[in-house]
Amino acid sequence: METVIKTNNLSKVYTDTAVPVHALRSVSLEFRQGEFTAIVGPSGSGKTTFLNVVGGLDKPTEGHVIIDGVDIATMKESKLFDFRLRHIGFVFQAYNLIPVLTAIENVSFIMLLQNRPKAEMEERAKQMLEQVGLSDKLNVRPAKLSGGQQQRVAVARALASKPDFVLADEPTANLDTESAFNLLDIMAKLNKEENITLIFSTHDQRVIERARRVITLVDGAVDKDETFNREN
Amino acid sequence: MKTLLTIAWRNLWRKKRRTLITASSVMFATILAIALMSIIEGWKDEMVESIISNTTGHLQIQDVLYHDESSIDHALEYEEEVKQTVAKYGDDIKYTVPRIEGFCLGAKDIGTRGVFLTGILPEKENRMNDLSSRLIKGEMFSADDNYAVIAEGVATQLELSTGDTLVLIGQGFQGMTAAGKYKVGGILEFPLPEQNNTMVYLPLKEAQYFFAAPDRLNRLIMMMEDEREADRLAQQMQNDLDDDWYTVKTWEQLMPDKVAAFEARDAQVKVFVWVLYIVAGFGILGTVITMMHERLREFGILLSIGLKRTQLAIICMLETIFISFIGVITGVVVGFPVIYRLHKNPIPITDDDLKEAIIDFGLEPVFSFSAEPGIFIYQAVTIFLIAIIVGLYPVQKVFRLEMTDSASN
Repeated sequence: METVIKTNNLSKVYTDTAVPVHALRSVSLEFRQGEFTAIVGPSGSGKTTFLNVVGGLDKPTEGHVIIDGVDIATMKESKLFDFRLRHIGFVFQAYNLIPVLTAIENVSFIMLLQNRPKAEMEERAKQMLEQVGLSDKLNVRPAKLSGGQQQRVAVARALASKPDFVLADEPTANLDTESAFNLLDIMAKLNKEENITLIFSTHDQRVIERARRVITLVDGAVDKDETFNREN
Repeated sequence: MKTLLTIAWRNLWRKKRRTLITASSVMFATILAIALMSIIEGWKDEMVESIISNTTGHLQIQDVLYHDESSIDHALEYEEEVKQTVAKYGDDIKYTVPRIEGFCLGAKDIGTRGVFLTGILPEKENRMNDLSSRLIKGEMFSADDNYAVIAEGVATQLELSTGDTLVLIGQGFQGMTAAGKYKVGGILEFPLPEQNNTMVYLPLKEAQYFFAAPDRLNRLIMMMEDEREADRLAQQMQNDLDDDWYTVKTWEQLMPDKVAAFEARDAQVKVFVWVLYIVAGFGILGTVITMMHERLREFGILLSIGLKRTQLAIICMLETIFISFIGVITGVVVGFPVIYRLHKNPIPITDDDLKEAIIDFGLEPVFSFSAEPGIFIYQAVTIFLIAIIVGLYPVQKVFRLEMTDSASN
C-alpha cells in the first residue's frame, strides 16, 4: 500500500510555558493508504499535538511531515492553507459545523472552497449525507441536530472532498454509546468504500477496539505501534 | 463570494439580540449626529438668511473703493455698463435692490442725533426684507414721495412722531453739503438696537438728491435665483465690469467677520460631533470585541478546515458592513420624518432671556432644523465609515489568529 503520511523525528516543544513542555519527542511513523489507525495515550501524551502537526495546523520544532512527497513542516502558511484544503479532512471532538449553514451546505463547504462545479458538489454532498444516514436532514441547521447527527455531518464534510486522509480528534468523546457505535460504523464503511486513510486520536475503548492499527503515545514518544487483523 | 455573503448575513441573525443592540447603537448615533447637525445648520441658515435679506443680499456691485472706505464719495455711477451687465445675467438674478446711504445728523428743534440715512425703492425693499411690515405707525412712502420713514428709537430720542419734520444735515457727494427737511410719514420698529436707534429711510431719488449724487448708488444689491451660484456669478460679472471702477462681492466677502464667526462655531460643533462619533465608535467596538472573543474557536475551526484568512476577514467585514448599514439606514429612515417635521414646525424657545437675545439678533425665537439632504448623507456616510473602521478590529485579529490556540479555546 502507498505511504500517505511519513513523519521523521517529529518533535514539538512548547516554550511559552514556565517550563518547556516536550509534547512530541522524535516521532517517526508512516501511514499507508486506507489505514484505520487510533492514536491513543493518556491526557498530555501528545495525541492532539501530533494530529495538529500532521494536519499542518501547527509547526513542529524539529522533524519533517511528508505528505504526497511534500514536507509540510517547512511550507509557507499561504500554501499550507491550500494544501490542507485539498489533501486533509478534519473531524473535531465538538463537531464544529458552521452553525449558520444547513447540513448539505456544511458538507458542500470544503468542496465550495475548492471551487468544485456546483452540480458535482451537490450530488456528492447528498451522497455523503445519505451514506451517513442523514438524507432526510439536508436542509436542517446544526442546532436542530443531535450531537451524533452533527458528528455524522462533520464526518460527511471531512470525507466529501475525497481528501488523502482524515484526522479525527476524539470524534466520539461527546457521543453516547449508540451514537458512537453508529459513527464508527459509518466511518469504517467509508474507510472501506472510499479507501480513505483515517487517523483518530482517542481515549475511547470503543474506537480502539475497531482500529486495525493502534499507536500508543506516552510523554510525546511512541510507546507501542500495534497492528490487528480485524474487520472493523 | 456568494457563500461568504450568505455566511455573514446568516451570522448576523444567530444572535439577534446582539445584532439588534449593535444596529440600534449605530442607529441612535446616526439620529443624534443628524439632529445635532440639523439644528446647527438650521440655526446657521437662519442667520445667513437674516444677513442676506436684511443686510447684504446675495451679491452686491459697489464702487471699487467703497468696501474699504464706506464714504458717499465712493458711490458708484449706476450707468449703462452696470445696467447691461445686470441685464445679461437676468436669468440668475431674481431682482436688484439699489441703495444710497450715509451717516448724517438728524435734528428736531434743539435735539440732534446721528442717524443712518438710506435711500431705497420701497417695493424692492419689501420684496427683499418686508420692510413695511415693521411699520408701527404711519405708512411707507412710494418711490415718488418725498417724506421720511424713521426707526422707533430715532423717533423716541428726537421726540418725533408722524407729521413732524426731521432735519437732516450731512456730507454730500464730493464735498457737497447735504441738508434737507423731511416730514416723518411713518415709524418702523427693528429688533436690533443698532438699527432701531439709527435708521432713517427716504425714497431713493430723494436721497440721491439729498446727497447731491443723482444716478449714484452705494450698493446695488442682487438677490439670486439660486444662492449656490453666487460665487460663479460674482466672478462672471466681475469679468464683464471694468474692475478699475466696479467690484462684485458676495455676502461672505461683505461680511468676513460673520463668516469667521460661523467657522469658529462650526469648529466647536465639530468637536461635539466628533465626541459623539467616538462614543458611537466605542459602542460598536465593544460589541465587536465581545463577538470576536465569543467566536475565536469558530474562527480557528474555519481556518483549520480550509477557509483562508482573507475569506474569514471578508466574512467579518461583511458582518460589520451589514450591521452598520442596517443601523445607518434605520437611523436615516427614523430621523428624517422627525427632522423634517421639526424643520416645518420649529420648536419655540420658551426661556425669556434666550428668547429676547435671539429676537435682538433679528431672528425668530425658535430652534430651527435644517432638512438639507446633505446633512443626512454626510452623517450617515460618516457613521458608516466609523463602523467600518471599527470593523477592521476583527479583520486584523483574524490575520493574527493562532489556529490551534483558538480552535482549542
